[in-house]
Amino acid sequence: MSAFVIFAILFALLFTGMPISIALGLTVLAFLALVSSLSLETIAIVSQKLFTGLDNFVIMSIPLFVLSGAFLSAGGAARRIIRFATTLVGWMHGGLAMAAVLSCAFFAAISGSSPATVVAIGSIMLPAMVEQGYTKKFSVGVLATSGGLGILIPPSIVLVVYGVSTSESIGKLFIAGIVPGIVMALALLAVTYGVARRYDFPTLPRASLGEVWRAFREAAWGLVLGVVVIGGIYGGLFTPTEAAAVSAVYAFFVAVFVYRELPLRKVPQVLLEAANMSAMLLYIITNSILFSFLLTTENIPQQLAQWIIDQGLSPWMFLLFVNVLLFFAGDFMEPSSIILILAPLFLPVAVQLGIDPVHLGIIMTINMELGMITPPVGLNLYVASGLAKMGLTEVTRAAAPWILVVTVVLLLVTYVPAISLWLPNLLYSRP
Amino acid sequence: MLDRILDRLEEALIASFLAAATLVIFLSVLHRYSLGVSWLWPYTGRISFTWAQELAIYLFIWMAKFGAAYGVRTGIHVGVDVLVRRLPPRRQRFFIQFSLAAGAFFTFVVAALGLRFVLFIHDSGQVSPDLELPMWIVYLAVPLGSGLMCYRFLQVLVRYRRTGVQPSHHYGAAP
Repeated sequence: MSAFVIFAILFALLFTGMPISIALGLTVLAFLALVSSLSLETIAIVSQKLFTGLDNFVIMSIPLFVLSGAFLSAGGAARRIIRFATTLVGWMHGGLAMAAVLSCAFFAAISGSSPATVVAIGSIMLPAMVEQGYTKKFSVGVLATSGGLGILIPPSIVLVVYGVSTSESIGKLFIAGIVPGIVMALALLAVTYGVARRYDFPTLPRASLGEVWRAFREAAWGLVLGVVVIGGIYGGLFTPTEAAAVSAVYAFFVAVFVYRELPLRKVPQVLLEAANMSAMLLYIITNSILFSFLLTTENIPQQLAQWIIDQGLSPWMFLLFVNVLLFFAGDFMEPSSIILILAPLFLPVAVQLGIDPVHLGIIMTINMELGMITPPVGLNLYVASGLAKMGLTEVTRAAAPWILVVTVVLLLVTYVPAISLWLPNLLYSRP
Repeated sequence: MLDRILDRLEEALIASFLAAATLVIFLSVLHRYSLGVSWLWPYTGRISFTWAQELAIYLFIWMAKFGAAYGVRTGIHVGVDVLVRRLPPRRQRFFIQFSLAAGAFFTFVVAALGLRFVLFIHDSGQVSPDLELPMWIVYLAVPLGSGLMCYRFLQVLVRYRRTGVQPSHHYGAAP
């Protein structure tokens, strides 16, 4: 009953268009004021949660990953990564489009956000592709979709958010994202190649080995970051938060002193933009901690888990339900909010059905990628439409065929757990 | 004029807190590894970084609370506006104002609750475990940040009523 009331309030507030974070917080206040007796104790707990909710070292990796991404974007890492990717695959059919997909995959390995990946790669690649004669529609579709790799290939802010809300190991989640990320990248490359062959898209001259090597050396300054983060966390050199801090300082160093594309006087602007983005994420997190505190005190995750178990759902039916629900949720909200609201609800059921929490995290993340290219609230679509100066409806149509590709990969990863679990189980099962 | 000073102060505060927290964590990692280098001992052995994690968290929380207020000004707090966008302009105006007012109301309540909590902690004389900072100063981030956020919501509301524009954040607008 209280579950119904809580979600009714939440939905009513959400659809007025108020910020998601405010809607979450007001739901808690309204429920406490209207339904449960508003004791002084609960008020004290609520006001304490507003602070202690963030008093968590793992959460602090989020602003740090945002910051390191901001430095890399401003520092010209994207351009060098694109040049390297182009020397690798440019000679194939649809060379520039292939390079765009590969660049997104590389950039995803040093950045934890999808829209940031679309902006970094898209702002350079989109004009280049259009100039080479690709249709705007095709270019935008490729870029908006490949940018989604940003939250799957580690480091990933969405995976950190999942780890925080389910107390799952960030290191394990990151490692679990690697193989599905590669599978997704290969699928996108294969489809791009197929389309390019069929329509005979242009190729670029083959780069000599020397050129590949030179491009690699330039790009390596940025690319090494991904290795440091994942290797460092896995090797026990540092915690995820420390890894994020190291990568932020490193990214600053590369942007300002190695690539020299970010003058020192512009550093405060980068800091401010990163602070803005991360404060927004942290604000949603604070309020959803409040919200899930309410759900737990009302015992809702357990009740829901029991109810679903009683329906006799098999694991695959439950996962299909998760896929479909997230598909629709992803059409209306941005990833972090969805994960924060739904992961604590799904987790108890998944655990009872014998689904690995790490696997669930990867499924949810790919589902979020799908949401980002599906209208009406596809974050990547918004970003791409801004870059391409195209209307949202047009961009939506451009991304439509790609939704199919991502869906196929999503189903594959959902029903073949080994794709996500093989690597982390291999690495983390020490005798 | 006063508003402009407040704006710049807010920006300087969150940018420098983010930078400081990042550096603190980075230096503590550096320090931990430098302890493995014997010839650095005379320099690094005496320094203790046990307080680093605590300080970094507090800096981040302050950054987050004030950054959330800055975010209202830049329009980065997004909501589910698909339905509202389809309404006729008059109704749309109503819902936008309602949302902004709701934001102001929520942040006001939080500021009040936070203030009560700060007073309570102040009386308890609690200090933080490592830095031994009085906790009420640390917790002050909640009422101050939320109070500022409330002010920002009201400011955006007033401007929207006057001009019909509200701030909206664009990805990739960064330098």
